[in-house]
Parts: sequence; structure tokens; C-alpha cells
Amino acid sequence: MRILIVEDEPKTGDYLKQGLAEAGFVVDLVRDGHGGLHQALTEGHDLVVLDVMLPGIDGWAVLRGIRKAGKETPVLFLTARDAVDDRVKGLELGADDYLIKPFAFSELLARVRTLLRRGTRAAAAEFLHTGDLELDLMRRRATRAGRRIELTSKEFALLELLLRRQGEVLPRSLIASQVWDMNFDSDTNVIEVAMRRLRVKLDDPFEAKLIRTVRGMGYVLENPDCA
Amino acid sequence: MRLTGRTSITWRLTALFVIAATSVLLALGLVIASSVEQHFEEQDMEVLTGKMTLAQHTLLQIRTQQDLDHIAQVLDNALVGHHGLAVRVFASSGVVLFTTANAPFSFDQVAANAQRHAHRPMTWTLGQQSYRGIAAELPTGIGEGSKVIVAVATNIAHHQAFMRAFRNTLWIFVSIAATLTGVLGWAVARSGLAPLRAMREQAQVVTAQQLSHRLAVESVPVELAELAQSFNDMLARLEEAFLRLSDFSSDIAHELRTPVSNLMTQTQVALSRPREADQYRAILESNAEELEHMARMISDMLLLAKAENGLVVPHCETVHLAVELRALFDYYEAVAEDKGLSLSLEGDAEVEADRLMLRRALGNLLSNAVRHATPHSAVQVRVAGFPDEITVEIANTGDGIAKEHLERIFDRFFRVDPARQRSSEGSGLGLAITKSIVVAHGGTISAASDGAMTTFTVTLPRAGHAQAMPTNTAKAAP
Repeated sequence: MRILIVEDEPKTGDYLKQGLAEAGFVVDLVRDGHGGLHQALTEGHDLVVLDVMLPGIDGWAVLRGIRKAGKETPVLFLTARDAVDDRVKGLELGADDYLIKPFAFSELLARVRTLLRRGTRAAAAEFLHTGDLELDLMRRRATRAGRRIELTSKEFALLELLLRRQGEVLPRSLIASQVWDMNFDSDTNVIEVAMRRLRVKLDDPFEAKLIRTVRGMGYVLENPDCA
Repeated sequence: MRLTGRTSITWRLTALFVIAATSVLLALGLVIASSVEQHFEEQDMEVLTGKMTLAQHTLLQIRTQQDLDHIAQVLDNALVGHHGLAVRVFASSGVVLFTTANAPFSFDQVAANAQRHAHRPMTWTLGQQSYRGIAAELPTGIGEGSKVIVAVATNIAHHQAFMRAFRNTLWIFVSIAATLTGVLGWAVARSGLAPLRAMREQAQVVTAQQLSHRLAVESVPVELAELAQSFNDMLARLEEAFLRLSDFSSDIAHELRTPVSNLMTQTQVALSRPREADQYRAILESNAEELEHMARMISDMLLLAKAENGLVVPHCETVHLAVELRALFDYYEAVAEDKGLSLSLEGDAEVEADRLMLRRALGNLLSNAVRHATPHSAVQVRVAGFPDEITVEIANTGDGIAKEHLERIFDRFFRVDPARQRSSEGSGLGLAITKSIVVAHGGTISAASDGAMTTFTVTLPRAGHAQAMPTNTAKAAP
């Protein structure tokens, strides 16, 4: 998967490139609007991460140029302004998603993966597996090593999310919005408590732990055999 | 002079004084002049009519043509002692029968007038002299057909001289009076406007550092009191906004100082000597947590700043409060269960509100209740609908909030227990955000505590009343 980053802020550009490259993507970094548009139109990128404030032509112009040329490459734009106008404008111009600076890198990675997965996803699977864990999506049942695990519906939804995005570090804010549809950060450690309760049921009875806490970033479900 | 726009009030008033005084004086002068002139005319006419009557009597006594020839003598005797009086008697043929020495008017001048407008005064100007006179065709004692024309006139040069002098005096007086009114008017206007200047001087004292200064409303005239009051109100609003802004800046600086200094120290210590990879990892992880906390605080503060400046515009839709609250119960369920809390909901109502914002506001209250509730107690949420408003009460049992803290509980960064300032839970902005969201929806929020039970009450206007919401939410902020 090849990703184009158009970002003029030197540090941000560098760490985005490094982070995405280390996550297994082929990354091109361009630091101005004109170069960004040129690359987006000529090279076959799978995704463009686009900053709005750019020297030369701004992110909106780049986005407009890409869509005008008939390119359907997914675009994720980064904006420093928490203004409704900016989001609406970006989405109207044909962007696929946005992030407001400052954002957590894990959040960016999660969004990037979501966008890349879009359209290529196979028909809804009935079962999800990793190692000895199996989720029956139709019957909402979880089993590990043949043993049934009793989960509440929210715990099941949480596990399903972790399993679908296994190997990805999921930030708390993403978990809250995907599982509970809560788009704000709570003062209370809701996610920690929910995760702890899930682990009691899922990991405590077994030797191999599937869920891992990544301090300062979030949670990840990994198959210990593949790690 | 244009009397509108930027012309100074003093000059405007002065000009108006001058115009008013001059017109009144001029009108008065003209009325006096015309009545004096009329008086002169009446005086002249009295003399002239008397002479005419005398002439008439004399003429009637003339019985014969011969007497007529002696008329001069008769009239001379009758008119003796009247200087400045000119008399001429013409026969109807135009022959001068009698004339005084200084009567220079001709037959043609008087004949027409005598026949048409007998006794009507006329004015002649002959050389340097002006005369006022009357002419009449009078019968004689001789009988019909022997009428004579008598013209009597008096020199009015001295009257005219008097009137000229009078008018001159009038003009001079009026111009002096106008000048005087101008000067006095200017002085009066200036002293009348002194309170305005005083206000200006007081207003000049106000600067960003001295917004607490106010105009003395009691000492200004009634007419300006309202202006002064409005000015003071404006100052009060400015001061409030200014204070809020500077408080906000100092809050930000204060709240960010601790995490930034932690990050700096930790990173510098880490860099001071080579370490194991595990140690680096631990430091970076701790930094990441600290930074995440800061990023959240910044975005919360941005939201608050926008709300307090009235920039938060809710996108209203119909929200079922019970549905929202149940979703929030789901969210906090695990935490509540951990503490052995029971969450209960009573009632339901619909409200026009921004769903995401309202969810956040109620979420913060619920989170607060769950966090401060005594383990194994109940958190109760009651929704009640009234004709024009809806209330949501969120109550929990716990340590309660001291009275002196109740008022400040919605302030930014206010924490009842200062020792818990840097707890990992919360940025200290949750309740402030809740309040700003409620206020942006035109509602109110209050907290009550009776020692053990703490209740937060949110009041929202019912659907349809939401239009009354203030556009400037900052006004209603604490």
C-alpha cells in the first residue's frame, strides 16, 4: 500500500512518514501544495494524507485538483482548526475523512487503515478468528480454546472491534466512538474499566494474553503465536 | 453653517441663539418702525384734514365771483401761523386762485387725485423735499359749477429724517445684540455642556488596565444620566469579558505549566546518560500519557473559549432524553458496576437540542455523579417535562459539596479538593463545558447539596422556546 503525505510542517511530516513506514506502508512525503498535487495525479497512491495549510496552493486546492482529474484516491485531511466549516468544506470537496491537530498517531493509523480497507472488504464474515479465539457474529458468541466466554453485548462489540482490527493499536477515543457512539472524552476511565472486565473474562483464565495495553496510545489485540 | 453631523454642539447652539435673537429683535424693530411711521402719518393727516375743513368753510362763505377773486386774502388770514404748510387752490380751469409761498405742486398732480380719491393722502417729492398732502374738489358758496380744487400739503422731511435715524439705530442695535447673544450664547452653551466635557475626561481615564473605572452617574445632569449609565454598563460588560479572557490565559498557563515541566524534566533526565531500551520505552510511554492529557485539555479549552464567546451554535434536532440517557448508562455501566452503583432513570421528554453536545453535557454530569458516588449507592436521573421547560436532575449520594464551593463548581479548573488537582481523572473542565453547552441551548444549570445528596439540575427550554436562546452565551456565563 502506497501513501502520499502532503505536509509542510517539517517535524509533523517526518514523524508521519516514519510512523506510517514502520506500520508497513510505502510512504512519499511532499512538503508543498503544487508538488503534492502533481504526485497525487501522476503516481498511483492508494491514499493521500493532506494538510490544509500548505505553501503554494492550499490543501483545498489540491483536493479539488485531485477530484477534478477524476481520481477517486481516498483523501484524509488534517486541519488545525476545530471549526465545523472546515470539516464540512473538506467533506464537500470530496475528502473521505479528517483529523484535527493535535491528533494521536494511533488514531491516524486507525483511520488510514479504515480508509484503505474500504471498498476492498469481502462480504460480511460470519466468524472471526485469531489463535484459539473464535467469534460467532451471527449468534453473538465468543469461544476460546473451545470454552464459551459469556460477554455482555458491549463487551462483545468491543472484542469484535479489537479482533477486526487485530494488530492495530486502537486509541480510547476510537473505541468509545465505535462501541458506545460516544464522541467525547470522558473524565471517567470508562474504557480502562471496560477493557479490564473484558480481560478478566478473555485473558485471565488462559496462559496466552491476547489484549495488550500500549501505554499512552491505547489497546491492541494480538495473536501471541504470530507476535 | 451646516447644523448637522460633526459640527460642534457649542457652535450649533451659538448659531441658533444668534439666529433666534436677531429674528426676534428685527421683527420687533420693524413693528415699532412701522407704528411710529403710522403715527406720524396720522398726525399729519389730522393737521391736513383740519386745514381742508377750514378751507371748505371759507369757500362756502364765498357767494360771488368777486369774493372768489379775494379768496387769497381770506385764506391767508385763515391759514396764518402755520409754517411748513403748503396750500394751493385751483379753479376747475387750472388757474391758481391761491397759493402759499412754498407750494410747488402743479394742477395736473392734484386734479386727478382730487376727483377720484378725495382726502386720500399722497406723497410728493419735489427736489430735496418730500410732502404729504391731500387734495379735494370743494364746492363754493357761488353754487354748482364753480367748484375749486384745494390741495393741502405738509413738508415731511423731518419725519423722514427721524425714521432714517431710527432705522439706523435699529440696525446697529440688532447687530450689537446679535454679537452679544453670540458671545453669551457660546458661553452659556459651553457651561451647559461642561458635564459632557467632564464625562469625556472621566472616560479618558478608562484603559484596559483600569476597566473598573465608572462614570459618576449621580453627579451628571438628568439628561446625561442615561448615557452615563449605558456607558457604565458597556464598561461593565467589557470588564467582565476582559477579565474572563485574562483569567482564561492565566488558567491555561497555570494548567499547562505542571505537565510541561514534568515532560521537560523527565526527558532531560532521560537524556543525561545512556539507558536501556526498556527505560527509554517507559519514559516515552509516560510522556505520551502526559501529552495525551494536555492535548485533551487544549481541545476542551478551545471548546470552552468558543462557547464563552458565543461561537458555539447548536445544530438543533429533536432529542429523546431517555434514549440519550440510556446510551450514557450503557457507557458508564461498567464503571458503575465496579463501584456497585445502580443507575436509575425516571421520566422522558423531547427537547430541541444539538444531540452530540447535549450528550456530552449529560455525560459529564453522569460521569461526575458516578465518580463521586459512595460505593453501593444509587445514582438517580429524573427527567420532567413542564409546559415551557424540561428539567433533568442527576443525583448521587456522596460526601456532598460545601456551600461555599457550590457556586464555583462550574468554574474552569475548579476542584473542591486542591490536592486532587493532578489526578488522572478529568481536566477540571467537565462541569464548565457542561454549563457552557446548557447555556448555549438557552438553559440553566444549578447544583444543590444537602450534605449527603448532591443534585445537579439542568433546565432546558422546551421545543419551540429554543428560539429565545441568547446569541451571546458569554453574557450568561458566571
